[in-house]
Amino acid sequence: MNEAYALEVENLTVRYGGVVAVNGVSLKLKRGEIRGLIGPNGAGKSTVIDAISGRRASTGKVLLDGREISSLNVVQRRWIGLSRSFQRTSIFPAMRVRDQIKVAAARIPDCDVDELLEEFGLVPFQDKVAAEIGYGDQRRLDLSLAFLGKPSVLLLDEPMAGLSSEESRRLADHLQNLTRNWGVSLLLVEHDMEIVFGISDVVTVLESGKLIAENKPDIVRADPHVRAAYLGSAA
Amino acid sequence: MKYSMQIFRAAALVVAAGAVGACLPLLITSANVLSLMTQAVIYAIGTLGVGFLLRQNGHVSFGHAAYYGLSGYGIVLCSKFLGLTTGPAILLVISLTGLFAFVVGLVIVRTPGIAFAMITLAIGQVFYILMAKARGFTGGVDGLVVEMSEKIFGLSSNLFGKPGSMFVVCWLTLVLVVFLLSLLIRSRFGALTEAIRENEERARFIGYKTVVPRAAIYTVSAMVCALAGTLSSLYSAFVSPDSLHWSLSGSLLVASLLGGTSLLSGTVIGAAVYFLLKDVLSEVTTHWMSIIGVCLIAVIVFWPEGIAGGLSRGARKLRALAGRS
Repeated sequence: MNEAYALEVENLTVRYGGVVAVNGVSLKLKRGEIRGLIGPNGAGKSTVIDAISGRRASTGKVLLDGREISSLNVVQRRWIGLSRSFQRTSIFPAMRVRDQIKVAAARIPDCDVDELLEEFGLVPFQDKVAAEIGYGDQRRLDLSLAFLGKPSVLLLDEPMAGLSSEESRRLADHLQNLTRNWGVSLLLVEHDMEIVFGISDVVTVLESGKLIAENKPDIVRADPHVRAAYLGSAA
Repeated sequence: MKYSMQIFRAAALVVAAGAVGACLPLLITSANVLSLMTQAVIYAIGTLGVGFLLRQNGHVSFGHAAYYGLSGYGIVLCSKFLGLTTGPAILLVISLTGLFAFVVGLVIVRTPGIAFAMITLAIGQVFYILMAKARGFTGGVDGLVVEMSEKIFGLSSNLFGKPGSMFVVCWLTLVLVVFLLSLLIRSRFGALTEAIRENEERARFIGYKTVVPRAAIYTVSAMVCALAGTLSSLYSAFVSPDSLHWSLSGSLLVASLLGGTSLLSGTVIGAAVYFLLKDVLSEVTTHWMSIIGVCLIAVIVFWPEGIAGGLSRGARKLRALAGRS
């Protein structure tokens, strides 16, 4: 256990019946670090996020800020500082933007709803019902719910999915600034390699549920094994 | 509008609505009409219970008649076996209904959609059969006479049997229930349950347990139905298994869908429309339910938010038109 790490995952394994979806994955996320988690479809990236967040049953150890959280449920994990987003936008469609952030912020001490609305550019839509705002704005609302309370670790599952390249770039810059300013550590699953290699401090590569590489972006990009398994011409 | 301002406005509306209702028996002299109105108001309270559950939890219940009917039996049995007078018996029965509903709610609110509806149907029918078969306790299908003490909450029990005075009691109860439910909806708890209804998984991932709030909503809705059942048994001084039958749950649901559940007033309007249609159509044909069915389809197709939602949308459009001209 090392308190320099915000998140430590040891020997994480997820089984679906006889299929091993994640096989003994271990990783350590430093405070304020952005970690890209990449791999081909079916590599187990989202399953890793599901298991860390408590959505999926797993074996192995998960430690948050040095405290073992493997036996905690999703609600308890959220309260001690582990938050996440989903592949599909996950908001409260029939509620007004401001109302849903207020609900989410209600039990968090000193949580400034206005600051959050401002930070995620949601002020112009705050009185609108979430289902009526644009997809990009819904995505930002989704992220604002995940960032609420400035969690210690944030797991983002394809946050750029469905966004234009311009929107993706803006969001990537925003994520980078937030992790710096708010001290949030980020585990980022994303298919846009330009974004992942552009903002990550470390990149972890999965293939068939196993970790095959983990290093700084430039080194991973040049790794022939990674190139063969996943990156190919994208590198 | 600020929360305190909203409460002030709602309280003013409550006082005004209470005063209007209290004056109605002075203007309407026909005992039959008053009796019909009294029954409609009791029905509206029951509809509020079912509609509130649908609005806050998104749950469809086919079993709330159990809470409606059991309250009447509870009052009789509390008097008979515990020696309670009617007032304390009412309080005990509604509290026990809440407790029972909460325990049941903790289990069944975890089930989604149609499964929830079927479980509530099964629970309701279990109590219906129980009341119909346990002749020694319940009088079987013949039912029980509700014998009241001389005074109930300081009021003469005669007041509860007369259409004029009972209308005022029921009307004031309805207004109070609407007020309390609207406070609950506007509270942080109301917003939370709305969020859970919208996206339960997201609610858990922003750090909220979801089962207890949903069970609490189920409890409130059951208690509201029990209150309606209590008023009904006091008014008719009688309770029978019919008041627990699933068809009553179904009609409360139809009434709430007719009126629309997005607004509390919608469920009340729905109950009034349903009751009126039932009264008028049943004089004309024995197939009155099929006509109500056609009305329900029409409302769902043309005004998916129900009559109240449609009226409110129409009013908004008119205001916008007036603003333009």
